[in-house]
Amino acid sequence: MRSTSEKQSRGQSQSTTILTPDRGGYMTGRGERWPGNARNYYNVPLITKAHWSWEIVLYFFLGGLAGGSFLVSSLASLFGFKKSESIIRVGRYIAFGSVLISPVLLIKDLGRPERFYNMLRVFKLRSVMSIGTWALSSFGLFCGLATAHQAAKDGLLNWFPLMARLLKALPIKVIEGIGSLCGIVVATYTGVLLAATAVPVWAKARKILGPLFFTSGLSTALAAISLILSLGHRQRNKEALDHLERAETIAATTELGLIAALVPTLGALGKPLFTGRDGALLFGGTVSSGLIAPLLLRLGWRLAGKSASREVTIVSSLLVLVGGLILRYVWIDAGRKSADDPQAVHLYNEIEWREKHRS
Amino acid sequence: MGQMGFFTDTTLCIGCKACEVACKQWNELPADGYKLSGHSYDNTSHLSATTWRHVAFIEHPGDANNGNGKTTNWLMMSDVCKHCEHPGCMEACPTGALIRNEFGDVYLQPDICNGCNYCVPSCPFGVVGFNTDAGVASKCTLCYDRQKIGIEPACAKACPTDSITFGDLDELRARAKKRVSTLHERGEEAAYLYGVDEDTSVGDLNAFFLLMDRPSVYNLPEKPKLPQENIVPGFVAAFATAAFLTVATAFSLWNRRG
Repeated sequence: MRSTSEKQSRGQSQSTTILTPDRGGYMTGRGERWPGNARNYYNVPLITKAHWSWEIVLYFFLGGLAGGSFLVSSLASLFGFKKSESIIRVGRYIAFGSVLISPVLLIKDLGRPERFYNMLRVFKLRSVMSIGTWALSSFGLFCGLATAHQAAKDGLLNWFPLMARLLKALPIKVIEGIGSLCGIVVATYTGVLLAATAVPVWAKARKILGPLFFTSGLSTALAAISLILSLGHRQRNKEALDHLERAETIAATTELGLIAALVPTLGALGKPLFTGRDGALLFGGTVSSGLIAPLLLRLGWRLAGKSASREVTIVSSLLVLVGGLILRYVWIDAGRKSADDPQAVHLYNEIEWREKHRS
Repeated sequence: MGQMGFFTDTTLCIGCKACEVACKQWNELPADGYKLSGHSYDNTSHLSATTWRHVAFIEHPGDANNGNGKTTNWLMMSDVCKHCEHPGCMEACPTGALIRNEFGDVYLQPDICNGCNYCVPSCPFGVVGFNTDAGVASKCTLCYDRQKIGIEPACAKACPTDSITFGDLDELRARAKKRVSTLHERGEEAAYLYGVDEDTSVGDLNAFFLLMDRPSVYNLPEKPKLPQENIVPGFVAAFATAAFLTVATAFSLWNRRG
């Protein structure tokens, strides 16, 4: 590469915007420094957003609820106190109900629903959606078996005695163990799925999205079980509700911590999540009314030396459930806005490149 | 046969959009409607499910007194699917519809795709689009059908200045490097290759470009990152949290009072 001083001065005067090797370097090749903020092309979006809508929002919520409920029910069954039968029963039925609706929503969202089975012909560890497909399918199997076992125990299958006896003889601890592991994958993969895209706000939150979706799934599951138990015979379920409340407090506190960690993690990339309508929904719907309010309500009752009344449990459970649904919506919607912002895409790539080159 | 690809030399592009038209004709892609973007001569704006070649127009206001008499320096670039070495879309695809074919192209099989949309945000270049009419994702096939019968893709065939050239990747890269040094010798110091000898996780691009300004000026990502690199840290963090909360929940449900 030869370049006389005459040629260089000519090159520079022709355009003030074109970079030369001595002014910032080419944006290619190996180990070069970042030449200042990226520019953009008429602010046209660089990456393309997915057309996921309410089906996916609702599925993300139900997937977390299903995985969480099954996990709680299995934990109660494997390690729980003596009168935990009600938690086990309600947890299994909630998980089963959610897992029945989930594939319907997922298939409905496809551009060609009749080809859904093409996902069941491939297994790829590098595709989070493929991991999720198989996790949901196997979870559905174990959840179905556990629920059938429950139904047989509850006498719902007495009209078919042979089947009822067969289902009661199932190795339920094994089913619960494997099913819980599948349930954990179902409740976590949705967050990792979003993180494994080029969308800046999702990708930057890669270490938080999976944990956050799991934690939210668990807290909505605990809330849903509490809700149903407090609708039922309250005195009989009092002990179960007290146990659930302890678990809920831990889950909600963890969730608050994870959301707080988002602020420094995302930095400027968090703008679509923290500002505007999505920001208002996140802080109003999820953080304030979905997490802090139920925590304070219960804390207030505790400080007063009583256990929460039926109304308090119902209200706080509903708040947690609505907050969980809002959380999924806000993430999907913030992703759309983030994908449409070319400057965010460049900033994300720059941050990632700098991080990689520092280490 | 080695891998085939495109070399798009933007210094030769005259912005005629013959590539856009030829692509639409050959691949029977519908029109995108009559909208005026107001962005120079570019009314296509971006690659999409029905636009597999897109010519970008960049106007750099120049200095009228610089001696060459030009008031505007034009940059024009015909954008296309990059057919990456490590394609985010192909990794993301849960059906196996996205494959690498015998010519080294990243090919989307429209009869396998079920329209799950996951490849769309997984492309770091925003190439893949969702075709709402067909219900499947859609992108440049590098004219797989034409390659099968031994002819070059429609856009390369139609390009009147050979800004778009098609051929064996090794030959194309050698030719492109020679072109860059020729331009440097002529004093066009800004010329460089985008998508050759890259150190990003996306790797080299089978459809690469000779550019005259930063990639972001052409709406190309600078140092793109492969989205799938986020999977392992994502699951590790998620499972660690899940383990902690599982233990915490188990203790909460434990009957401590006997």
